[in-house]
Amino acid sequence: MGLLTDPSAGQGKLTKALLKYYTKLCVLLYIGGIGWFCSLAYTPMNAGTYFSENALLPGLVKSEFREDAIAKTYHSELLDEMKKYEDSIPYPWLLAKMKQIGLDTYTHNFTLNYPLGKPQKFVGKNVYGILRAARASSTEALVLSVPYRPPLSVHATTAPSIAIMLAFAKFANREKYWAKDIIFLITEHEQLGMQAWLEAYHGVACGNDGTLDHGDIKGRAGAIQAAINLELHETAISQVDIKIEGLNGQLPNLDLFNLAAKMLLKEGVPHTFKNRPNKHLKDPVNDWFYSFQTLLAMISTQATGIPNGNHGLYHRFGIEALTLESTPLKGGNKAGFPIVGRIIEGIFRSLNNLLERFHQSFFFYLLPSSERFISIGLYMPAICLIAGALFIKACANWCQLQENQAETEDEKTKTPETKKQVKSSVKPRDSKNYWKEMETRFQTEIQTHNPPDPDSVNFISILCVFLMSHVLGVLIMNSPQLLTTLGGQYNYSTDASLFYGFIAISVVLLTMPLFIPFKACEKSMSVLNILSLLELGTTLICVSMNNFSLALFCAIIYVPLALIIGITRCRLCSAIKKIVWLLAHPLVVLTATVLVYTFFMFPGEKFEDNFHRGVAATQQAIVFSIVDSMIYGNWLFSVVTSVFISNWLCFWIVAFAKVPQDIPKKKID
Amino acid sequence: MAHGKTEKCEQDCYKGGTVLFMYLTGLGIRYWLMFSRYQSIIANHIEISTPLNSWKRVSEGLCLQSKGINPYEGDLLHEAPITILFYKVLTQWWKLDIKTIFLAFDAGTAVVLYFVAKKYMFHLFIEQEENKKQYALNSKEFLLSGSDFVNSPVFVASAFLFNPYTIFNCVGQSTVVFHNFFIALFLFCMLSGSVILSVLSLAICTMMSFYPIVLIIPLFLYSNGIYKSKFRAILTPILFIATLAAFITISIGLSNGTAFMKNVYGFILTVPDLQPNIGLFWYFFTEMFDHFRDLFISSFQINATVLYLIPLSVKFRKDPFLLTFAILCLISVFKSYPCLGDVGFVLSLLPCFIHLFNYSQQGFLVGVIFLITTALGPILWHLWIYSNSANANFYFGVTLAFAIAQIFLVTDILFAYLKREFCLNHGKERKIDGKDALLILE
Repeated sequence: MGLLTDPSAGQGKLTKALLKYYTKLCVLLYIGGIGWFCSLAYTPMNAGTYFSENALLPGLVKSEFREDAIAKTYHSELLDEMKKYEDSIPYPWLLAKMKQIGLDTYTHNFTLNYPLGKPQKFVGKNVYGILRAARASSTEALVLSVPYRPPLSVHATTAPSIAIMLAFAKFANREKYWAKDIIFLITEHEQLGMQAWLEAYHGVACGNDGTLDHGDIKGRAGAIQAAINLELHETAISQVDIKIEGLNGQLPNLDLFNLAAKMLLKEGVPHTFKNRPNKHLKDPVNDWFYSFQTLLAMISTQATGIPNGNHGLYHRFGIEALTLESTPLKGGNKAGFPIVGRIIEGIFRSLNNLLERFHQSFFFYLLPSSERFISIGLYMPAICLIAGALFIKACANWCQLQENQAETEDEKTKTPETKKQVKSSVKPRDSKNYWKEMETRFQTEIQTHNPPDPDSVNFISILCVFLMSHVLGVLIMNSPQLLTTLGGQYNYSTDASLFYGFIAISVVLLTMPLFIPFKACEKSMSVLNILSLLELGTTLICVSMNNFSLALFCAIIYVPLALIIGITRCRLCSAIKKIVWLLAHPLVVLTATVLVYTFFMFPGEKFEDNFHRGVAATQQAIVFSIVDSMIYGNWLFSVVTSVFISNWLCFWIVAFAKVPQDIPKKKID
Repeated sequence: MAHGKTEKCEQDCYKGGTVLFMYLTGLGIRYWLMFSRYQSIIANHIEISTPLNSWKRVSEGLCLQSKGINPYEGDLLHEAPITILFYKVLTQWWKLDIKTIFLAFDAGTAVVLYFVAKKYMFHLFIEQEENKKQYALNSKEFLLSGSDFVNSPVFVASAFLFNPYTIFNCVGQSTVVFHNFFIALFLFCMLSGSVILSVLSLAICTMMSFYPIVLIIPLFLYSNGIYKSKFRAILTPILFIATLAAFITISIGLSNGTAFMKNVYGFILTVPDLQPNIGLFWYFFTEMFDHFRDLFISSFQINATVLYLIPLSVKFRKDPFLLTFAILCLISVFKSYPCLGDVGFVLSLLPCFIHLFNYSQQGFLVGVIFLITTALGPILWHLWIYSNSANANFYFGVTLAFAIAQIFLVTDILFAYLKREFCLNHGKERKIDGKDALLILE
C-alpha cells in the first residue's frame, strides 16, 4: 500500500518553504493568472474553429430561395400595417399572412405582474406559426424568431426581418425535405415575450412564482433543438453581427456559431463578432491587441449575465440559439433579400440534417475573433491560478497556526517532568474487578482534568459568526420587496428606496465587528480568515463554471484585496486595510464602475451632471438586476447578496482583529 | 469568550445544558428544512437518494404490497423484506408521521454515537493505563488527558448533528438514516462487549445493505482481543451466521419467495441501475463492453469488500474500532450505490480519533477538497442535466475527487495512528543516527 507511506516525509521542509515564500507565491500566482488570461488572445495560444458535428454538412446544398419579390411585398404591407398599431403588435395581419402561407398559426397571451413597487400589470401577445415537417412526426423542432418592435419603440425596427421570415416560411412550406418542424415566432416586448413563450412552451416558470404569468399555448412542435433570432434593420444589409452571450453567461454550442459564420461567409456577407471584423495584422503585438480587445468585449458582455438578444433566453432550456443582427456599414456591397433568404435557408437546411442534439463541439469557450476559439481547458488555468493564491494563503495561515501551537506546547513541556506514579497492579482483563476498577479510574481522570487553554480556538463561536453573516446575506437577498413597500410609504421611487435601503443596511452591518466576542483572540481570527479565504476561492471556482467572465472580474478585483486582509500588529496598516476593504464592498464597486462608465460615455459634460446621471444609472442597475432575478431567474443578484456580501462581512470582521502589540513575535501577515 | 472560570464552567456544562441545546438545535435545523420548500429539492438530489435508499421507492413498495402485489417482481424496490416490514409497522400499523420517524431515528443515532465515543474513550484510557510503563519518557505530552475524554463525545455528537451531509440525508428521507442508526447501535454494542446485541444489529445492517458483512472481523477482534474471551470470540461468527440465516428465512416467508434476493443483493452486487451517483461504478459500467462486465464487476466488488480487509485487520488488530472506522470509510467510497449519508456518518465518527489529529498531515488538503467538490458537484450536475452544456465527465471528475479526498482522509488517520504508536514507544525525536527517519508501513 503505497498510499500508507509516511505522508509527512519532507513535509517539514515544504511547510517551512511555504511559510517563507507564500506572499511571493501568491503575488506570482495572481500575476501569472492574469498573464495567462491576457496571452490567450495571442494566436498561437488558441485554436481555429472547426466543425465537430459532421451531420451538419454546412453549405453543401445549392440554395434555391427565390422569394425576394414576395419579401418586398410583405415588407411594404407590414410598414403600412404598423402605422395603425403605434404601440402594439399587428397580429391580425401576421396571423392572416401565416395562415395564407399554410402554417399552423397560434397566438399566445402573457401577463407580467411587476414585482416591485405598486402592483402593475403589463400584457403582451406573441404570434407564431408552425411548419409541420413532411418527413417526421413532430418530435423535433427548430425556431426562427423575430422580436416585433412597434414604431414607438426605442430600438431599431425589425420589420425587414419579419418580411424575410415570412418569405422564407412561404418558400420552406413548399419543400419536402424538412425532417424537423420549423416554428416561426414573432414576440412582443423584447425579452419578456420570448421568456413567456419559452416558459409556456415547456410548461415551467423560471422566475418567482406569479411574477410572469406565462399563460398557455395551444400548438406545440417537438423538442426544440436550435433557434435563430433575426434582428435585421434594413432591407439591404451590409454587415451581420453574430451575438451569442446568453442569460447567466451561458453560450450556445460552438458548432452553431461556426455554422452561422460559415453561411454568412458563403453568401459573401461580411460578418463581425462584437462589431469587430476579423483582421489578420502583420505585427504580432497589434494582432494580439486587436484580438484581446474583442475578447475583452466578449467577456464584459458575458460577465453581466444579461442576454444581449432574445437568443440568450433559449440556452437555459437546452436550446442552442444565436442572434443575427445587421449593422450599418458605410460603403461596400449591400446584400438584399435574396441573399439573406439564402443564408437563412442554408442554416436551416444544415440544422435539418442534425441527427442528434448539439453535443459534439464546445459549450464552454471564449472567442477572440469569429474564427478562433479558446476552450475551457485553456482558460480555466487562469482563474485557477488566481483563486489558487487564496488557497495558498489559507494553507500558509493554517500551517502558521499549527506551528504556533506546536511552539507553545513545546514551551509548556519544558517544565521539569515529574513522572506520575502509575499503579502497576494491572489485573488480567477477564477478572471481574478489572472493569470496575478501570471505570473508577476513568471517572477520576475525567474529574481531575486540567482546565483548557483559554487561548484555544473557539470553533463554535467562529462558526456562529460565519453562519450569522450568511444568514444576513440571505436576508438582504430577500429584502427588496420589503424595501420598496417601505420606501413607497414615504413616497420614494422604487429605484431610490432600494438604493438608499441597501446603503442603510450596509452601514448598519458595518458595525458587526463590535459584537464579535473573540476579536482579541489571534488564533480565532486567523481561523475566521482562513474560512473566508476558502469560501471566496470556492465561490470563484463555482461561479467560473457557470460564468467564467464574471468570476474572472471578481477574482481580479477581490483576490488581491482579500490577500491583503489579515491580522497585523501595525495600527496604520490595519486602518489602511479597513479603508481598502470598505472600497471593495460590492455596492461601492458597482457604483464606482457605473460612475466611471458614465464619465467615459459623456466626456466633457459637467461633473455634477455626470455624477447625478451615474447615481441614477446605479439605482437602475440594481433594480434591473433584482427584476431580472425575479422574472428570468438571473442569479447575479442572489449570488452577490448571499455569498459576496456575506464573505465581505467575514473579511471585514477579520480586519478588526485586536492583537496585542507589545509581544515581539513574528508577523503573521 | 471570557477566560478562566467561565471556560471551566462551560466545560462542565458540556455534560448537561450545552449538549441538550446542541441536540435541540440540530433537530431544529432538520425540522425546519423538512417542512420547507427545499425538502423535495434535497430529496431528489442523486447525491442524497440512490435507487437503493430513496423513500419514494419504499412508499411505492409498501403501496404495492398493500394491494397484494409482490413488490419484488418489478425493478422498483431494492429494500430487504425485513426492513419493509419495519417501515410497514412504523407507518401503517403505528401510523407514525414519516418525517417524525426520520427525525427520531437521526436523533437516536446522534445519542448512540455520543455513547459510542464515550465508550471508546474509556477503552483508550484503559489502553493508556496498561501500557504507560512501556512508553518513552518524553512521550507524556502525547497521552490523552481528561479534557480529551470529556470533549470527544460532544464533538462526535455535534459532528453528526451539524454535519451538512447527515442533515441533507435526514431531510432527503433516505433510508440510510435507519442504516446509520443500526450501524451506530452495532458500534455501541461492540464497544460495550455485548455479543448478542451487536451481532443482531450487524445482521440487520447486513440485510439492509450487504456491505457491513465485513464488520464481523472487527467484532471478532474485539471479543478476542479487548475482552479476552475465547468463548465470545468463537460465539461471534457462529451467532452471526445463525442470525443471518434466520433473517433470510424470515424474509423468504415475508415476501413469499426468493425474488427479493435478486432485487436486493443481486442489485447491490451486479449494479444493473447505472443512474449517476457519487460512487465510482456508474461511469465505468456505462462504457464497459458487456463481455467484460462480469470481470470488472467482481474486481470492483472485491475492492469494496475484502481487498483491504485482511491487511488492515492484521495491522490494526489492537484497535478494532479504528479498523471499523477504516472499513466503514472504504465501504462508503467503494460501494456500488453510495450516498452522502454514508460519508456524513463516517465523518462524524472522526472526532473519536482526537488523539491522532496532531499526527495527521493532510487535514487541510482533505478539507479543501471536500469543500470544493461539495460545492461543485450540484453545480456541474445542473450544468449537465438541466443546462445541457457540461457532460458526464465533469460530474464524474468531481465525484472522483471526492472519493480521493475520502481515501486521503482514511490513510492519513491510519498512518497517524502508527506514528503515534511509534512516538509513544520511542519518544518524540524520530531520528536514526541523527538524521530524519522515514516511517514506512509494512
